Amino acid sequence: MNRIFSKDILRSYFFLLPFAVFIIAFILIPVVGAVINSLYKDVTFREREFLLFDNYISLFKDSGFWQSLRFSMLFILVSVPFELILGLIFALLLNQIRRFRGLIWAAVLIPWAIPSAISARTWELIYNYNYGLANYLLSGIGITGEPINWLGTNVGAFISVVIADAWKTAPFITIILLAGLQGIPENLHRQSRVDGANFLQGFQKITLPLLKPVIVVALLFRTIDALRVFDVIYVLTGGGPGGATTSLSIFGYNYYINGDFGYGSTISVVLFAVAFGLSILYVKLSRFEAGLR
Amino acid sequence: MHRLIISLSIIFLLAGCGGVKEDKPLVFAVGGAPSEINFWEALIDEFSTEYQIDVSIVRQPTDTDQRRQGLVVSLKARDDDPDVFLMDVAWLAQIAASGWLAPLNTELDSIETEAFFENILDLADRYDGQLMAMPVYVDGGVLYYRNDLLENIGISRPPQTWKELIEFSLRVQAVERENNPDFYGFVWQGAQYEGLICNFLEFAVSNEGGFIFEGDSLRLNIPENVEALQLMHDIIHEYKISPPNTYTEFKEEEVRLFFQNGNALFERNWPYAWTLHQSSGSPVADKIGIDVLPHFEGGESISTLGGWHIGISAYSDMKEEARRFVEYVSSYETQKKLALNLGWNPGRRDVYDDQEVLEKLPHFADLKTVFENAHPRPTRPYYSQMSSILQKHLNSAVAGEVSPENALQSAQAEIQDIIGRYR
Repeated sequence: MNRIFSKDILRSYFFLLPFAVFIIAFILIPVVGAVINSLYKDVTFREREFLLFDNYISLFKDSGFWQSLRFSMLFILVSVPFELILGLIFALLLNQIRRFRGLIWAAVLIPWAIPSAISARTWELIYNYNYGLANYLLSGIGITGEPINWLGTNVGAFISVVIADAWKTAPFITIILLAGLQGIPENLHRQSRVDGANFLQGFQKITLPLLKPVIVVALLFRTIDALRVFDVIYVLTGGGPGGATTSLSIFGYNYYINGDFGYGSTISVVLFAVAFGLSILYVKLSRFEAGLR
Repeated sequence: MHRLIISLSIIFLLAGCGGVKEDKPLVFAVGGAPSEINFWEALIDEFSTEYQIDVSIVRQPTDTDQRRQGLVVSLKARDDDPDVFLMDVAWLAQIAASGWLAPLNTELDSIETEAFFENILDLADRYDGQLMAMPVYVDGGVLYYRNDLLENIGISRPPQTWKELIEFSLRVQAVERENNPDFYGFVWQGAQYEGLICNFLEFAVSNEGGFIFEGDSLRLNIPENVEALQLMHDIIHEYKISPPNTYTEFKEEEVRLFFQNGNALFERNWPYAWTLHQSSGSPVADKIGIDVLPHFEGGESISTLGGWHIGISAYSDMKEEARRFVEYVSSYETQKKLALNLGWNPGRRDVYDDQEVLEKLPHFADLKTVFENAHPRPTRPYYSQMSSILQKHLNSAVAGEVSPENALQSAQAEIQDIIGRYR
């Protein structure tokens, strides 16, 4: 008995091996490398020098860091709930559709399948001051006399980035939630209707509780992605105006291309730590939910 | 069957290795507009036939930061390719100070430095007393203006001062807007990128401001700079002679197209725009003039020095071949071709006196003085870091989100931290 057991364990380790190698090569080694790098002055045009925590001390004194941390947090707080609500509405609507289901689902996924750089470039054209679609439509229906400089103000740029990001990622949430909705047995809804529950009550008492674990997963993915947001912003605003939309990733990237690998690594490590903390929070949250049930 | 596959793989593997080793080409990294790439491809063909050296191009993007990023990745990894590449004068110092360039002046070489702009060689290409790069083409900000529109309001010369530029713009704008509501007086580069620094310097130094270094301490928040930055803000928000999206969307090409489509009276741009403006099919062809930029009252016109330089990687495994190529690129004939085919400004000053060049490009006679007096950006290895910070704050001020004093004060403080860190 014991022998077979240990043989089984050995075999399962063997099957885990490719995955473990992948994690070590592409996640663990780079993370450890970044942590080590962050302890050095590693600037291409200066001697490498061990600093211990000097980079971290400078980072916490760096107003640029706090500005981008503030932006990243605000971006999560606004974009993730917005995308979740949008995705949930789409999922509920799509779940009602019976005909051409596969085709419509595929159509919903298109924005998510388009590379961010390309969709961001498209949004840049939409927001363009002179010939953009947004200003054309607004002036067409007579809401605004003067065209709006979408990317030119702190608030405008923030909203523009959130909309462009939501357009791309809401479909992702839709698909995850749709899968969750499919898992809810139809007879639960039928029973509730027999008991006289209306749509809202059914949604509140049946759909939402059963969807919760899936929502937590979607939230986790989206929060981490929103924290790391780079491509949409890099293309759309480049971090401007005046650094107002500089996410932590853009902030770190700027140091890397300027040749400061030590400070860039410090920013990456802090970004990693925040993402790690958020993941643990979500995992705890979902376990708590599971425990309650 | 298995044996066959294995032996075939070995054959292919060996063939692959042999092939790479025998005719490994000289790798040249260059980016830019399609016309620029075409120029380099033609040049490389001629070079290959003449010297029997195979050259292959690594095509980079147009954007200067992306070009730098590509080079930093290869050089930081000590890759033996690319062997030779072009560098923006703004980040040449970073590459040189990182020890990534092989010196050019070995006894074998015969690069004629005397024929080049001495001030530019000194500022950009010499590092620790050694020649590390050669200017391929040079750039300086110039003012383009519409002759026809100025004549309409009875003026026969370009503006001398910024004040005149505003005055002329307002008058022409009033006339032109009747038919063209999208017409603006003056277009320039105000987006948050390196070009904004170049434009700011031209405003600021023409008011006797700019980057004022006292050893390692920088003074930016001085009245001259505040006044210059205030003016940049005012020409968009107060006088409204520049489009409101100047500070979000306007880089070189946006500015050039805006002017070229006939929607502006004045344009600040690099000399490359001249040939494109004058090309057949351009709505402004033969209606434009070129001049030095305006200045503040009591100041002097200046241009920010730009341009691209060629250098050899310290990790190159084909340094001798690369030197031949650098020589070829900096030869009189190549530099003349650069001017005639692309209308760009050669790094060699003797080409500016060439009869054939002057016939085709008469404005070259004036440009020579522009480059002799061009104002450099600080040539410190950490200039890029300084620039990112300053871009951010200048852009905020031009957008009207913060006052010029506050923007310059914050920029000065943050740049001082940068200097402290990289000194």
